[in-house]
Amino acid sequence: MKTKKKFNPAMLWAALVIVLVYVAVFITEQLLPASSMLFTVLKKGATYALVAVSMNLLNGFTGLFSLGQAGFMLIGAYTYAIFTIPVADRMNVYQYYNGGLVQFAMPVVPALIMAGLAAALFAFLIGLPVLRLKSDYLAIATLGFAEIIRAIFQWNKLGALTNGSNILREFPTFNDFNIRNAEGEVTLYLSTLVPFLIAGVCIALIVMLINSTFGRSLRAIKDDEIAAEAMGINLFHHKQMSFCISSFFAGIGGAMLAMYQSTIQAKAFTSAMTYEILLIVVIGGIGSVTGSCISSFLFVACSEWWLRFLDQKQMIGNFEVPLLRNGFRLVVFSIIIMIVVLFFRQGIMGTKELPDLFKRKKKSQQEVKA
Amino acid sequence: MSRNVLKIEHMTMQFGGVVAVHDLSMEINEGEIVALIGPNGAGKTTAFNCVTSVYEPTNGRVSFMGKPIAQNSPNKKMRKIYAGTMPDAFTDKTVRMSPDQVTKLGIARTFQNIRLFGGMTVLENVMTAMHLRRKSNMFTATLHLNMKEEKAMRQKAMDLLETVGLKELQDEMATSLPYGKQRLLEIARALATEPKLLLLDEPAAGMNPQETDELSAFIKRIKDQFNLTVFVIEHHMNLIMEISDRIYVVDFGKLIAEGTPAEIQENPAVIAAYLGGEDE
Repeated sequence: MKTKKKFNPAMLWAALVIVLVYVAVFITEQLLPASSMLFTVLKKGATYALVAVSMNLLNGFTGLFSLGQAGFMLIGAYTYAIFTIPVADRMNVYQYYNGGLVQFAMPVVPALIMAGLAAALFAFLIGLPVLRLKSDYLAIATLGFAEIIRAIFQWNKLGALTNGSNILREFPTFNDFNIRNAEGEVTLYLSTLVPFLIAGVCIALIVMLINSTFGRSLRAIKDDEIAAEAMGINLFHHKQMSFCISSFFAGIGGAMLAMYQSTIQAKAFTSAMTYEILLIVVIGGIGSVTGSCISSFLFVACSEWWLRFLDQKQMIGNFEVPLLRNGFRLVVFSIIIMIVVLFFRQGIMGTKELPDLFKRKKKSQQEVKA
Repeated sequence: MSRNVLKIEHMTMQFGGVVAVHDLSMEINEGEIVALIGPNGAGKTTAFNCVTSVYEPTNGRVSFMGKPIAQNSPNKKMRKIYAGTMPDAFTDKTVRMSPDQVTKLGIARTFQNIRLFGGMTVLENVMTAMHLRRKSNMFTATLHLNMKEEKAMRQKAMDLLETVGLKELQDEMATSLPYGKQRLLEIARALATEPKLLLLDEPAAGMNPQETDELSAFIKRIKDQFNLTVFVIEHHMNLIMEISDRIYVVDFGKLIAEGTPAEIQENPAVIAAYLGGEDE
């Protein structure tokens, strides 16, 4: 048996795949027109991938079934928007509130971190009472929290900060990452690569956490709380830590969603959004970061692009395809979900990660040779 | 003189109207192997759970290395229905710890119905139990700045696996091991928390006679190697008689006998409890 594992070819292959994806994104962005549907999918996919991985950290690795993701995304999105709207535009955006309370603007990266910290702070406070609950009760409590947050952010009295139920806009979006020359023409497209980079760094941090001694403890809690506690793992502290970190990255994900949409409004962050993310996690495989990433791109591609035709009248020759009308896409979607839940409960990846795929391939090749 | 490691004073555990453990007092000294035996449902595991703070005893005190780790007296509702003894002896203070705090102090346990971390490999199971002695914090661990510690953890886990003879299986999933090996892994995992007192809850359950024989040698060996005091619940009389320095016998939650293996074998109350003797 080998005890020293200094060089792991599977890891190298996985790293190579990731680098290739980034290179491919960068090159296609320069070649294809910016209006291509592909970039919409990639940008939103990267955003959802981050949120899905953050939810997976909680649901898949710690075994805490939380449905508060939309709430934390909302906090992140609003924090980002509030801190980055240029001072010159504030009078315009906060037209009913005298230009609002905040009268400064931050650069993007600190604002992103602020977005995460704000979400984590709320998670910490919510976690104090809520994390003592088990499974279903925790899900209900966090779902309730998300709904309450959505209502509070639309409250008129907080308008100076949140602009009430009006939209927030004019903050930097993904398109602002494109490098332009003096005439305003884009010389280098980065509007898809940057969300990939942000999501990539965040997901890498989550993966590193999962692979550390703390990640092992979280998985232990998921497997058996009583045994984990008997091995000296403080259940509450570790659950609280997982909850805050998950929310931190959900907050950053929310900020990315704000950048993607270029305007935000609290009423868009409904529980349906949480369910979308939950779906991504389930389809990708509960407990697989790679699965969450792949399935979020598939999900976004299906809902925004590939299945769009189901919402319109389609003609094959003179024959009008029956059933196709507005909303039919969602019916098809629900059927796909039912099939996944019934027959592919493991999801796309089960609990496997990217390097595992190469390991298995290699093993089967060896078997063929033997 | 040998030091007192665990001291249980008049411990009573009452669930509603059921008294599971009734006025149990016992002492375990450093370096001893002490057994707690009794028929099914006698309250042995409940006593274990009180010592490890899974339950809060209704009355009495548990001390570890001279320091109280659990102390309680019946109050409020429980006071009215309390069916045990000495309700006023421990009212001066209440001590309540969580199981992880008790483990940090140096009490480790195994479980009667094996509770391994099923989603992890054998090695990871052992390494998880070292988490409580970590020096790194969340940030250094996430950024992998604690590679030295992680490496030491891995090495120590391997050494422990070698001690219990599972080194070859380190990368297997824990639940894929045969039953007897899962029990050994549970012991290795408990040892990884660096305990002074090891509680074994029916370690031989589900083992065949040969494995049981090996187990008694194994328990003696790890006791010496890791400087342990061992407190064991068991049904296999051969094992108990072979390894124990002293034996406590409970029946219906009450202590009915204590003594050396030879004394217990001759004790009429014990024989009555096990073989169903005449009414008292």
